[in-house]
Amino acid sequence: MRFAFRGLPAAGGGTLTPRPVVDIALEGLADAPMECLLDTGALRTRMSAELAPLAGIELSGALTEEFYIGGLKTVGAVARVNLTVTDGADEFSWDAPVWFCDPWPHPFGLAGLGFMYHFLVTMRANDGYLDIEPQP
Amino acid sequence: MTTMTVSGHQFDLDSRSVEAALQGALPEPIHEHFVVINGRRWPPKQVLSLVTGLDRADFTTHQARRALTRLGFAAARAVTPRGSHPVASSAAAPPRPLAAGTTERREPQVEALRPFIGLWVAVRGDDVLVAAPSAKEVVAWLAKHRQRAQSMFRVPDSEQAITGTAPQ
Repeated sequence: MRFAFRGLPAAGGGTLTPRPVVDIALEGLADAPMECLLDTGALRTRMSAELAPLAGIELSGALTEEFYIGGLKTVGAVARVNLTVTDGADEFSWDAPVWFCDPWPHPFGLAGLGFMYHFLVTMRANDGYLDIEPQP
Repeated sequence: MTTMTVSGHQFDLDSRSVEAALQGALPEPIHEHFVVINGRRWPPKQVLSLVTGLDRADFTTHQARRALTRLGFAAARAVTPRGSHPVASSAAAPPRPLAAGTTERREPQVEALRPFIGLWVAVRGDDVLVAAPSAKEVVAWLAKHRQRAQSMFRVPDSEQAITGTAPQ
């Protein structure tokens, strides 16, 4: 599966340097896959907590942790959910813990090493895309 | 003000009254024709219905389009929906950073996202399906109009929002 790096408009004009992203759909939110930044420096898959109720994911009583991201203190609650990644042609699903965080200052989710354990990831930054191949 | 007759009713309209009538509304899916208002694409019939209060069955798309172009709005026809594969032409010739993490290269999808800085968007190919202040509104719009997005995210209002991540 191939994903183009995401280019974004800069608020002051011009374009932000395109970032490596994959689109990950939460079970219950198949029509709105969340764009997630591939982050080799992160261990976990993290998303905004506002997505959990939209996907019907119950977080009350979930294990939580406090941590800092981008200098901001936030709280993550973990739930094990089914995730699907697709490029429109192929798709792959797996179960994984996702940390739903509030507040969440970032425009994307984060796909950390927990995501990458499931895939062979080939980054072609100079060409502006990445390939992922599911690993059994 | 421009006076026009729609379905036997007379209206005095200008661009400001049209923009005001759209406040708080989200554009419905574009099937073929659209008009551009405040940087967003709108189905002409939806706009004219919101502006006049008339039922959409009372006028045609072409009447709506003509009325809105008379008020100065750009109108166009959507091209055939693009394939869902996310690698567009940008993959073949990637933009090179110039300074401070920005480029001056104009990418179609980047330009399509520019009016929505700070908003949540759902995109498919280079098309922005919907933009709204919250993910909840975006998801509700997709469900209501039976649309499937390729991806959803918030268009950042600063470079800082996408740097300095990497927690555990």
